Amino acid sequence: MAVENTGSLMDPAPERAKRGAFFFPMLFMGIICAAWDLGRFLWGGMGVPKGVDFKTGAVLTVIMLLSMGPMLGARGKLSRGQDKAALGNFMLLMVIGIVMIAGIIFTWGAVPIATGYGGIYDATSGWLGLYFVAVTLAFLASIMKGKRVPARFGAERWVAHNVVSFWGFMVLLWTVFFIVFYLA
Amino acid sequence: MATTDVQGRAAGGAGGGGQPFVWSMVLPMVRAGLFGFIGYFAAAWITAMVTHTVIVNPLPATLGYVFGLLGWLAGSGIWSGWIRRAFGGEEAPSLTGVERYFQFSSDPKATAVRYVIFNVAAFLFAGLAAMAIRIELLTPNSTSWWLSEVHYNMTFGIHGVVMLLAVAASVIVGGMGYYLLPIMLGARTVIYPRLLGLSWWLLPPAAVAVFLSPLIGGFQTGWWGYPPLAQNSGSGIVFYTLGAATLLASSVLGALNIIGTIVYMRAKGMSLGRVPMFVWGLFAAATILIVEAPATFTGTLMDLSDMILGSHFYTGPTGIPLAYDDQFWWLFHPEVYVFALPAFALWLEILPAAAQRPLFARNWAIAGLLGVSMVGAMLGVHHYFTAVSAERMPIFMTITETVSIPTGFVFLAALGTLWGGRLKLSSPVLLSLMAMMNFLIGGLTGIFNADVPADFQLHNTYWVVAHFHYTILGAVIFSWLAGLYWWFPKVTGRMVNEFWAKFHAWWFFVFFNMTFFPMFILGIEGMNRRVAVYLPYLHPLNEFVSISAFFLGAGFLIPAANLYFSWRSGKKASQNPWGSKSLEWHSPSPTPYIVFPEGSEVTVVGPNDNYADGAPEPFVWAPTTAGK
Repeated sequence: MAVENTGSLMDPAPERAKRGAFFFPMLFMGIICAAWDLGRFLWGGMGVPKGVDFKTGAVLTVIMLLSMGPMLGARGKLSRGQDKAALGNFMLLMVIGIVMIAGIIFTWGAVPIATGYGGIYDATSGWLGLYFVAVTLAFLASIMKGKRVPARFGAERWVAHNVVSFWGFMVLLWTVFFIVFYLA
Repeated sequence: MATTDVQGRAAGGAGGGGQPFVWSMVLPMVRAGLFGFIGYFAAAWITAMVTHTVIVNPLPATLGYVFGLLGWLAGSGIWSGWIRRAFGGEEAPSLTGVERYFQFSSDPKATAVRYVIFNVAAFLFAGLAAMAIRIELLTPNSTSWWLSEVHYNMTFGIHGVVMLLAVAASVIVGGMGYYLLPIMLGARTVIYPRLLGLSWWLLPPAAVAVFLSPLIGGFQTGWWGYPPLAQNSGSGIVFYTLGAATLLASSVLGALNIIGTIVYMRAKGMSLGRVPMFVWGLFAAATILIVEAPATFTGTLMDLSDMILGSHFYTGPTGIPLAYDDQFWWLFHPEVYVFALPAFALWLEILPAAAQRPLFARNWAIAGLLGVSMVGAMLGVHHYFTAVSAERMPIFMTITETVSIPTGFVFLAALGTLWGGRLKLSSPVLLSLMAMMNFLIGGLTGIFNADVPADFQLHNTYWVVAHFHYTILGAVIFSWLAGLYWWFPKVTGRMVNEFWAKFHAWWFFVFFNMTFFPMFILGIEGMNRRVAVYLPYLHPLNEFVSISAFFLGAGFLIPAANLYFSWRSGKKASQNPWGSKSLEWHSPSPTPYIVFPEGSEVTVVGPNDNYADGAPEPFVWAPTTAGK
């Protein structure tokens, strides 16, 4: 069957390629976070200064680790072609994303930016906050697409898969962030 | 070959299949500029009012830039071409005609053509800045009728940033790489075509911001943005940091596409050993960007944070100024190889076809490109000779000098290919050979910079200016022109006027060497770089350099006119005017919108640069099975 849409004709990369190549943007984003994380020891020194909001940080970390459940659920549903059911998981993960953004902003009040630790903490968590904004918007886009044009959602399922992978990556980045900034 | 109506309609060439240009097609670009302008001033004014300051202060300027960039993107057609669709909205029709050159488009060929036009414009303006610098240096004293010392500093800073990040970083990778990458691999497009489209739309606002930085106070730091000078100069440094970060982000979007496309979208049978050399060069350059850009990218943002958010990364009680130097040079010395590796690969693509000889020591040449990428990635260390203990210097020196080994592989592969060949000395070949000669001088003089005792004498002198102009202008820009002439028929369907192309090649070569070779002597004689004032005994040689530079700069009107008139009325090109075996020459000239229509597919059975007598054709076409 010949392709009757010019856009599809011009973008024939298989799902395997679209999903596999997403590793490279994540690798780049991970290296940026690694640069920030290493900067914590240069500017913040060893040890965690007094006044750091450990409780909020720990709660956010627990939330992120628990979010692995709906994330893995979404992946399984997508793999089985249950797109509509996966959208419920997407909704939950989007809400968690908003909670994380609010939580990050909340922690900024605990350490002044003008200190070495505070500066690198705010910069690193702010950068992670931008990632959370991106992944939250990506979930919103997937939810809207899934509801408005389910056929297109199914035809481009690699997009939803990549959004879920991005969330899994965020769990990893946040966990490393917590270890580096709150425990190390 | 088109098998459907859709393909038939889209199979037009660069001119959109005969679709005539009308001025209304430019409107999206005008709209983008207008939205950017409104976004900038609205955000800057509101911020200034809220914070009781003026719009030229760092914070209003920063928010103005961010919203100006967003406005520019919103006006570019990104909403209808990408965002709306991503949220489940109406799908905009694919742009297959001339209009795709003037708005957001996912076609990598249109993106690449925009890169070329942007690069030419940026090169013109940054070149004019260079002329302004040389006018200033016509006299040993600061000349009040031309530039003050403050304006001189701004001018060479702008010249440096724009030439490096808006020209050298993308002339070959952007203008040629993004056009040829999918075609050489046998794919219709890159892995993430919309991200690639976005990469171009990030360029103009960044370059404009750097150029307009004097309007909000300029910057005195040169292209380095070193703190604490950055914090103590005008607000224009904000445009420098934001512009540099945006240009880096643009490069990275391209690099991600390069690597993803090479890994996942090669044609059937194209094993890594059969990947074209030019693609290998793109891969080697992209690898450096992915691995090294984060440190420098974060450095620019931290520098900005010190200026607008009150952090103390590089200044104040907890500031570590040298950390910025580390982060800056972490990428920005290896960045030279991001410029040069595609140029090396371009020589290795052109020379076998021109000499009709198989590429000599192909695997060693690939190892050379990857070796330069890996060793070059560590070269930032030699910028610390004046800042580290004596014990580390031999290590840093050795690392730096080691890069000459894989570079040698590339040169030997090129020379071995030419040896005994029947070289057709067309203008692209001539420019490639000149580029090799220039890079050889640039590379050999670089050894002195890498050598600690010599570097202590030559550091911060015009020797260094001459060295890096030989590598960047002498190698990369010569190679850019070579590539433009070589692939011009593929993009436009017409040949470049050979007489004027060769005339300018010699003009460029002569005045380039007359401009920059004396700078080695000036450096040895003790002329400091980055200063508007020098000692009177250096005056005659500086006068000679300046006059040569004016001829060099004026000479660029020749290729500009040649390319324009050749595009409008040049001789019609055949499908494969150079007799190349590379895959891009298997499609008609100019390249159709859909390069490889359905109905047949290619299988790669050998490298594309085996020109040995009796060597089999590297590509075999066969009808596709139904449903493909």
